Formats: sequence, C-alpha cells, structure tokens
Amino acid sequence: MINQLAALDISEAAFLGLIVATIQFATLLYLAALGEAIAERSGVLNLGVEGMMAVGAVSGYIGAVSTGSPWLGLLIGAFGGACAAGVHAVIAVGLGADQVVSGLALTILGLGMANFIGDSYTDDPRRSQFAEVDIPVLSDIAWIGETVFSATPVTYLAALLGVATWFVMNRTALGLGVRAVGESASTADAAGHSVVGTRAGAVLVGGAFAGLSGAYLTTTAIVGAWSEGLTAGRGWIAVALVIFGAWRAGRVATGAVLFGFTLALQTRLQPFGVDFSPILLSMLPYILTVIVLIVISIRARHQPSPAPAGLGIAYRREER
Amino acid sequence: MKRLILRRREEAVRGGQPLAFFAGLVFALIMGAVLLTISGDPVFDTYQRMWDRSFGTADTLSATFNRAVPLALAGLAVSIAATMGLWNIGAEGQIMFGATAATLVGRVGADWPSPILIVAMLIGAALGGALWALGPGLAKAEIGVSEIITTLMLNEVAVRLIVYLQTGPWKDPDGFGFPQITAKPEGSQLGIIWERSHLGVLVALAVIAGFAWFVNRSVWGYELRIAGASAKTAAFAGISMRKKVLGVLVLSGAVAGFAGGIELTGTAARLNENISNGFGFAGIIVAALALMRPSGVALVAVFFGAVQVGGQSIQTLGVSPAVAGILQALILFGAIGAAVLSTYQLAFIERKVVTT
Repeated sequence: MINQLAALDISEAAFLGLIVATIQFATLLYLAALGEAIAERSGVLNLGVEGMMAVGAVSGYIGAVSTGSPWLGLLIGAFGGACAAGVHAVIAVGLGADQVVSGLALTILGLGMANFIGDSYTDDPRRSQFAEVDIPVLSDIAWIGETVFSATPVTYLAALLGVATWFVMNRTALGLGVRAVGESASTADAAGHSVVGTRAGAVLVGGAFAGLSGAYLTTTAIVGAWSEGLTAGRGWIAVALVIFGAWRAGRVATGAVLFGFTLALQTRLQPFGVDFSPILLSMLPYILTVIVLIVISIRARHQPSPAPAGLGIAYRREER
Repeated sequence: MKRLILRRREEAVRGGQPLAFFAGLVFALIMGAVLLTISGDPVFDTYQRMWDRSFGTADTLSATFNRAVPLALAGLAVSIAATMGLWNIGAEGQIMFGATAATLVGRVGADWPSPILIVAMLIGAALGGALWALGPGLAKAEIGVSEIITTLMLNEVAVRLIVYLQTGPWKDPDGFGFPQITAKPEGSQLGIIWERSHLGVLVALAVIAGFAWFVNRSVWGYELRIAGASAKTAAFAGISMRKKVLGVLVLSGAVAGFAGGIELTGTAARLNENISNGFGFAGIIVAALALMRPSGVALVAVFFGAVQVGGQSIQTLGVSPAVAGILQALILFGAIGAAVLSTYQLAFIERKVVTT
C-alpha cells in the first residue's frame, strides 16, 4: 500500500495529515480497547463499549466547557464511562446475568443516556480543548516529530496508560489476581480472591477507559463538541481490537495504529488521488478481525488460545 | 465482617418471567420518570403521549404492530440460535443484507407481477440473511470460532455495503445528486390489511407460529434442543453437532434476513443504511426477555414496538426521543434484576476468615 502511494505524486502535507489522523484514531481506539482488554482479562465480556464511549463523550464535553478545563473534562468523562460500566458490573457481575445481553443493553442504554443528556448541548458553540504539545527534542525529528510527538496530551496519556496496564497486569499481584479470576473464577475464589470484587473493579476501570476515549473526541479538535452519533461504531472496533491484539496491552497498541491507519485512510485518501471507495476500505478492520479470530482458532488446536479461559462465563459461588 | 451474597431461595417466587417482565416495565417507568423530572420534562404528559401514540387508537396500534414485526422476527432469529446455546449478535447485519438482496431482486424483476415480485424479494431476503450468517456458521461449526464476535463484525460490514451501494453502484439517477438508492419498484409494496398494518404482520405471526411448532414438535427441533442442552448426549444419540450448529445459525440468519425483506416491502420506500434501525440489537433484548420462547417474543416485540413508536412522538413535547432507547434497556435490566431476585435472595453472612 505504501509503495503504491509513494509511486503516486503525493504532497508532503497530505502524507503528514495521514499520519496525524492515524495517531488520532489510534488514540481513540486504544483507550477504549485497553479498557475492554482489562475487563476481558478478568473474564467479563462487555459489549457496551459503544455506549460507555458515548456517555464519556457527552459528560467529558459538559465537564470541559463548564469548568473551562479539558483535563477536568477528561476526568469527568472517565467518571461517566465508569458509571455506565457500573450497570454492567451490577447486572452481569453482581447478579451473574448473561454478559452478552447485559453488554448490548448497556450499549442501548448508554447511547440513549448520552443523547438524552446531550440533547440541550447539541450545537453548543462553547469549546474547551487540549492544545497540541510538542515533546522537546523528539518533536524536531522530521516527519515523525511534527506528527507523533506533537499530539495532544491525551495521546501521551494513552501511551502511559498502556505501559501502566502492561505493568499492573504482568508484574503485580493485583494483575495476577485479575488474570487468575479471568482464567478460572472458582480456582481464584478458592485461593481467596474476591471474584465479584475483582471483576467489578476491572469492568469499572474498563468503563473509565472507554469514557476517556469518548471524552477524547469532545475535548480535542477532532470533534470538539457533542453531537449525536459521534462515536460512529468505533466502540465495536475497540471490541474487535482486543481480539486482534490477543488481550495484550502491547499488541493491542500495534493493532490500534493499524486500525487507526485504515480509519485515517478513509478520510485522507482523496488528496492522494487514489480511486478506491473509502467506504469499502472502512470494512477492513472488521474483516481483518474475523480473519484473525479464525487464525487464532486454527492455531488453538496446537497451542493454547490467547483468550482468557473464563471469558463470558458468569460466576456464582453456590453453583460452582 | 458482614458481606452481601446471593442465596438461592428454597422455592422460586411464583409468576416467573411474565412477572419479571412486568417488574422490569415498572422499574423502567419509574427510572424514566426520575430522569424526566431531573431534566425538567413533564413526566405524565410524556407517558400519556407515548401511550396515545402507540396503543391509543386503532391507527397508532396498527403502526405499533408494523414496528413489532422486525423486532419479533429479529427476536425469533436470536431465539433460534439460542436453542443451541449460540448467540446471533448479527441479526442487525443480516436484516441489512437481507434487505439488500431483496433490493437486488427488485431491481432485476421491477416489472414482474406484484405478488411474484414480492415473494421473490422475500425469498431473496431470506437467502441473503442466510448467506450473511453462513460465514460465522461455518467458522463456528468447522473451527470453533466464537459466533458472537464474527456475527457482530459483519453488522459493520453490512451497513458499509449499503452506504457504498447508495453512493455508487445503486445511486438513484433521479436523486438530484443526493446519495440515495433508487426507490423500490411500485409492485413491491405489501398490501395493507388493517389501518396502517401491512400484510407482514400476519406473515410474521405465521413464521413465529411455524417455528414454535418446528422447535417444539419436529424431530429436527427435538434434536436441536438435545444438542443445545448437552453436546455429550447429542454425540451419543448420533446427532452431528457440526451440522446442527451450521444449520441453526444459517436458519437464524435467514429469519433475520426475511425481517429485512418485510421491512423493505412493508414500510420502507427504499433501501438505506437505517433499514434495520437497531432492530437486530433490540431483538436480542426482546428474545432475552421472552426467555427465547417464540410466543413470548411476539408479545414482548409488541411492547417494544410501542415504546419505539411512542418514543418518536414525544419530540413535539420537546422531550428527547432518546427516552425510548433508555426505557427499552431499563426494562431488560429491571427484569433481569427481578428474575434473579425471584430465585435468589440477598443475605448478609459473616465473612469467614481464612488464613493461608
């Protein structure tokens, strides 16, 4: 693809624009997917990402414009996402209801709540946005410097959260507990871990991350304000990304850049003069995910699947 | 230290799921009232308007029935897959691709006699939906790929396919440059049977009744239920799980696709990306509330149709139509809570101190 693009006479500005858009979409997807990965590592599938993102977007916007601080907006967005996730924590974890049904209902509830709350903020002219921050020295590098290292603070925050998630999951007792609960809830329970507590916590953190992702849209120049349908199905890509990234913070990041690139291509393809429907291109992340799932399943015959063994299975102690 | 746990009741509360659904409805209405009050909207007027515009008159009731059709068929599709313990999260995409296939038939046979055209379009829709579910079905049956994610992903592909068709190949030449697909042929409109209700209402009822019989009374349905309950038993009985898994997902897709065909021939003027309008996802909630039983699916679908139709009408009161979506989700959450509490009770127990 790159070679093909290079063969065409492309302006530098269009290429830089493509990289910037890739970073933006990657940030958006990574925050949501990272949160979903945390929840799924604890054994809880949460198909409510799209709804939690929408709640995060609207609460982030309201928080940012009413306090005048995009940082507070981001925080309030994370809180909104966690509140939405709380529904899933109560229904699917606490009461042990089916995770698929609860998650999908959460998407409907979240989108409904976001549209309801945001109703009076549609077309609101107020803005409270993050500015781009140049990282010293690194931002002087050609191409990469003025794109990757002069992004909004949210992109750097996403990268930090990725490293932190990797560290907590793989190097701390807390992460070991989360993974244990996700692999075998009854074993973890017998070992003294609180299954419900751990899972509820993971779902709430996942919701906060999804909320951050939504708030990223409304507290940066990407969208900058609330409007209905602004999450545009990106929550489903985040769900896909977790599988694509084999439930690992690092690989999910690689996937986020790749999926972000395909999303960016849709909006930035025209300057390159490529005559290919951007809409057809936008199917790519979903088709890729299906292919990856198939590959994982074929390989699972010879090696263990990367999916948490207890994913999607409700746990009630009495029914052990 | 005390902690809160769920303890199974010695006897479940009588009344079961209908009671849980009713409890969910009450819960949703109360929570909805709280929301409306907080946002300064008139609670009583809003609910009054929703009732008037859904069940109030013969005219609105007939519109509610029309809306219940795709919800019921999507719910049926989900419940068919559920007999085998499978989740078809892709009814949304199957509805869209079913309607796309029906549109293709309509483009080919635009001047066929009306009944033939409609039947051909509906068959095309069912085949389209089946085709859309074939991939996930094969992947599940042959390699064991989770159908939850594959069916979900194909939703997003289907919606983009329609957008592609309306901006390109199937763009209406008389649309003044507006990206829309050419209107469906005149002969493809389903007949009206009562007020605004179209023939699709009866067809949907017949399909649901047919499947209720099929699942509960036929040999294939019996084998399905065995296979769904225990893969081991099915293996001993010589039932091929692979064929059943594939068959049930394709059948589920066909029913959802059929819903897309009914929606196109019954209510829509043309194919567009909103042809499914969330029916696939709402259908999952409908099926869950009906405990995957076909008869229950039809009843719950009428309620959900009413909430959706009523929800559209409150905009004139200055109330956000998003209330409809919120109510639908809250009904489900309330009903789940009630169902759990009818078999379990909350209890405080002493936390045991375990030293390791």
